[in-house]
Amino acid sequence: MTPAGFTVAFAALFWGLGGAIWLLMRRRYTLRQIPQFFMDLLGFPVELAQSLFGRAGVPYALLLPNMLIFGFFTFLPMILNFYVSFTGGASISLFDRPWVGLEKYADIFTCENYLSPKSCSNPGYNFWTGMFNTLWFVLIQVPILCVAALVTALVVNQNIRGRGFWRAMFFYPVMLSPVVIANIWNWVLHRKGALNASVGEARDAMTGLAGLSGFDMVATVIFAVILLVVSERSLRSNDGPSGSWTAVFGVLIAMLVYWSQPLSLIGLPGSGWLGLALAGGLYWSVSTGQSFARMAIIGAGILAVIMLLMIQFDAVFSFGRYRPINWLVTPNTGWPFFWLVFVFCWSHMGFYMLILLAGLQAIPSDLYEAAKMDATKPFRAFYRITLPLIMPTLTVVLVLSLIRSFQIFDEVYLLTGGGPGRETFMVVQNIYEVAFANDHPDYGQAAAGSILMAIVIAVFTFFQLWLTRRQSDL
Amino acid sequence: MSRLTTFLSRTAGNGPDRAERIGITDVLAYSYLFFGVLIILVPVLWTFFSSIKSDTAVESFDTRLAPMDQISEMIEDVGEKDVWIYTAEDGSTQLVYKAGPTRKVTDVAPVDDPGAVFKVPRTSLAPHEEMRVAVENYLDPILKRNGQDNFHFFTYLYNSVFVTVIATMVTLLINAMAAFALSKYRFRGRLTFTILIVATLLIPSSIILVSLFFVVWSFGLFGSLWGVIIPAAATPTGVFLLRQYMLTIPDELLEAARMDAASEWRIFWRIIIPLSLPALSVLAILSVIWRWNDFLWPLIVLISDPASHTLQLGLTQFAGEFDTNFHYILAMTVVTLIPITLVFVWLQRFITTGIATTGLK
Repeated sequence: MTPAGFTVAFAALFWGLGGAIWLLMRRRYTLRQIPQFFMDLLGFPVELAQSLFGRAGVPYALLLPNMLIFGFFTFLPMILNFYVSFTGGASISLFDRPWVGLEKYADIFTCENYLSPKSCSNPGYNFWTGMFNTLWFVLIQVPILCVAALVTALVVNQNIRGRGFWRAMFFYPVMLSPVVIANIWNWVLHRKGALNASVGEARDAMTGLAGLSGFDMVATVIFAVILLVVSERSLRSNDGPSGSWTAVFGVLIAMLVYWSQPLSLIGLPGSGWLGLALAGGLYWSVSTGQSFARMAIIGAGILAVIMLLMIQFDAVFSFGRYRPINWLVTPNTGWPFFWLVFVFCWSHMGFYMLILLAGLQAIPSDLYEAAKMDATKPFRAFYRITLPLIMPTLTVVLVLSLIRSFQIFDEVYLLTGGGPGRETFMVVQNIYEVAFANDHPDYGQAAAGSILMAIVIAVFTFFQLWLTRRQSDL
Repeated sequence: MSRLTTFLSRTAGNGPDRAERIGITDVLAYSYLFFGVLIILVPVLWTFFSSIKSDTAVESFDTRLAPMDQISEMIEDVGEKDVWIYTAEDGSTQLVYKAGPTRKVTDVAPVDDPGAVFKVPRTSLAPHEEMRVAVENYLDPILKRNGQDNFHFFTYLYNSVFVTVIATMVTLLINAMAAFALSKYRFRGRLTFTILIVATLLIPSSIILVSLFFVVWSFGLFGSLWGVIIPAAATPTGVFLLRQYMLTIPDELLEAARMDAASEWRIFWRIIIPLSLPALSVLAILSVIWRWNDFLWPLIVLISDPASHTLQLGLTQFAGEFDTNFHYILAMTVVTLIPITLVFVWLQRFITTGIATTGLK
């Protein structure tokens, strides 16, 4: 019998038999109180503590199981991590591991050029590739996730029908397991899968439509009518242009600029950015209630008409033959990384949305009523009321999603396996592979990697908390 | 007509400060929500619809929604053959099977008259199909038919349910005890304990992976389901969630019970537990989600022994072994997501409001 088994057997005997005798000696149970007896037996250590030390001993007994588990399975490993990282060899017995000092750290830091992981030693290469990919992932992922969650929470918080339904739908992917999520997206993103098929069909249909004679003219007229309606709508209201219609107008302008490529006249690229900047400027001027907002919209409208006449719509909508993309496998395209970010957002956004929604609903509605009395613009109300009051919740969401994204493993491991090449190889996968998926497990190396990762996470978290120190209520 | 548009575009409620018609803001909001739900639901539904297609349809990446399956018939002296519809130039159709390899001009023979082979262009052949739900995608791996004996469904299900149920019960019990101690007693070291628990909140689980493995190994829990259940049974989130809730229970109730000489344990069991049921059920649901979906730690602890795989691990192994048998993988994926989906549909209002109001803070 192993010592652990012996201990368990002894504890069971003491608890079950000893507790039963102890209880039966002190209390009387009728036949109907048998459930009561087992309930008391379950709490026997607490009862014992109360009878030995009085009421003062009870809280310690109550905290004991939780603290034992925290101690053995969280704090002890945390400390042990340092010890393991200073030892070498593949032995699982802690006393059997030779002390190697800082060698494992030195391995990671053996680099000729600290900016390129390729010049490092092998463990260093794996670790720094994982670390850089993870940092990159976190920097892209966290803002996107938080903005998406905030926008969704704002929309769901509107006065809409079926709020419970929408909220539940956005939360649903959070319930799905990583394996299920990976299988679903593997299936959709397969080279012959649903996504490639529908993109291909849509493009073929559009190309076919653009090939019809007179398509150019019809498209120009339709766009002109849409522009007319939207600009009229956004200018209609007496107290300044309408924000939402301006947003639609801005999207249209951005599309027109992108298609007509005005900068190519003077031989410059980047018309797409120009369009986005124009749309953003328009929306900013309207939402902040600038006096020239109306003139800006009219000016943009005139510009839009000129650009509309420049566009050859057949050329814009003629896409040519579509080659299915192997989304998760093709190297050097950035697609595997993109889909990783997308799937992570897809599966985690609902959770952060719910937290933000709770924060939004805690904002007293009379603030908005007061703002309405003062004829405050919705954008201004968002900037001056919603954002400052949601900031504490947003900080929590930022910190949580940051820690969460840093630890990304399941989704990558199951979707891309770190590939193609090492494009999506994350730091936790490095730790996992070094320690557990290796013929010669190097626990010391993995532990050293964990500690470095812990340091990076801590630095990031504190930096973020410091940035938002005034708003934080963590 | 204008009454129709008014009817279709009216908004919820008719309070004094509400517009009566949908404005552009509502249109934008609804289209955002609609597209969001589309992005969330379409992949899941597509997986489901693909999982009930026959293996040939799945392997040829049939993008039609309905589960169409080519009919095959037993033909005398030839054997089982796929049936095709041959459309002649005059528009008449005939059921044929391919008597030779598929070429530009293919040898075919009518199903009714297997001897009469004739040549037709390949483009005039269309598969003869019927709609059929491919139940075998589900039944084969579960009942281990057709050589699918690598997916021990009931073992995996048992392990998953065992881990989920036991871990949730342990979590609820010990977290409630800790929360009770922290919320209803004044004792030396209360602040220390609270800080310790906050500290565990800040230690990400993937950082302590390696040494946790050493600890679990030395306890002799490695490779057993208990090695998955116990290390994560104490959750800081759970303690805080329950503590916040228990702070709202009036102390007078406890005092009254003490007057009646109830022991502290009975107070906990008879008063605190029943009164904090709402928070307990939120924690129960969270714990079920965490445990059912847990992946990395079970992967490390349980991977070596197929008999103790959970459903998630079994599914991973299964998907890894048969890269081409998509129809089985899809079916088993659907089987894995169904329990959690049912729980969600059944309790969705409760889950979302519960997490939103009590969750995390």
